[in-house]
Amino acid sequence: MSVFHLKIVTADGKFFDGEAERVLVRTIDGDVCILAKHIPYLTALGMGECRVTGSNGETRRAACMGGMLSVMDNEVTLIATTFEWAEDIDVSRAERARRRAEELLHKHLETRDLELAQARLKRALTRIQVGK
Amino acid sequence: MGASMKEIKLRIKSVQSTRQITKAMELVASSKVRRARERIERTEPYFNSLYDTMSKIAYGKRDFTSPFVEPREEIKKVCYVIIAGDRGLAGGYNSNIMKLVESHSKAHGHPICAVPVGKKAAEYCQRKGLEVLTDQYKIVENVTIGNCMEAAYFLSEQFRKGAFDELYVVYTNFVSMLTQRPAALQVLPVTYTKEAAKDDLTDMVLYEPSPEAVFDAVVPEYVSGIFYGALCQSYASEQAARRTAMDSASKNADDMIEDLSLKYNRARQGAITQEITEIVAGAEH
Repeated sequence: MSVFHLKIVTADGKFFDGEAERVLVRTIDGDVCILAKHIPYLTALGMGECRVTGSNGETRRAACMGGMLSVMDNEVTLIATTFEWAEDIDVSRAERARRRAEELLHKHLETRDLELAQARLKRALTRIQVGK
Repeated sequence: MGASMKEIKLRIKSVQSTRQITKAMELVASSKVRRARERIERTEPYFNSLYDTMSKIAYGKRDFTSPFVEPREEIKKVCYVIIAGDRGLAGGYNSNIMKLVESHSKAHGHPICAVPVGKKAAEYCQRKGLEVLTDQYKIVENVTIGNCMEAAYFLSEQFRKGAFDELYVVYTNFVSMLTQRPAALQVLPVTYTKEAAKDDLTDMVLYEPSPEAVFDAVVPEYVSGIFYGALCQSYASEQAARRTAMDSASKNADDMIEDLSLKYNRARQGAITQEITEIVAGAEH
């Protein structure tokens, strides 16, 4: 299968830099899967699972939240706000975060706090789903 | 003679204790600068990809308009994010930033508002009576990437609403341990340099779901990336500037101690000689 160059970076460093067969991410508009020779493309990322299939055919999973994905000249750049490989996720910590967020949501919150708590819950749920 | 000896001794002591402080600060700064440099190295790929991608998009933009890309015709107000330190004793680090803000705003001649980051920047804004949009980032050491995100969303929103027409971030570039250069970078509207967008992007870019939606989501991310990058650079620069300043202060203290010890020994020798002369003169008579 033909490959393309994939780069995954966040503010914490580089997570992937090399050849890949395909990459699947959740954008703000739903899941997309990029294969080699895609036309120039740009989208913003939502929160969800990301699957990267390397040139050796091995697939790795990760939790990917926020940021953008761009395709230019058969080069894919994934710039994420947070990106964690499934094996690096601390599930018990995410569970705790989920419980805390759920408790918060039961109280009556102002709009801004509510949004924050919802975002926190969503993040925790994504981590749990990917980490398990 | 005795009095001056005592005086010199006191001076030596005080210089020595000052030296101890400057030396300690130097050591602290050098360990901090090491960590700050590691952080720069970690964030550099992120910063560069973000900047490249944005430049390419801004350059290749043909088929839509976005308030974040279009330069505004009339500039009524300019916003500066001023990143300085929390503490002084860092050579010219803080004052260089302030000087740059001054010259930059004077050259452009528009009314300005500011977001100070760091205690020294906040003090500067207060002294100059600048309009401050938010002062919740007063302590530069505590600012996280989460804060950058928050600030970026806030400022992008304000920009879109028209609270200001240009956004600059004023920070210090970490060139090397010995050189740090203050710089003002235009963040909004998004600009591009020809070099960053090397090739002519003639192909149309597909934006999903729509160019506007993508831009709305991506621009704050970009702004926050720039803030974080600038913050990392500034923090490393501050520590490096402090290290250099404290190093030369320690060296100065060493020189002073040497000088004073010489004077002290001379005074002591003088006192002894005088005493002997007196004794001999007394014995002769």
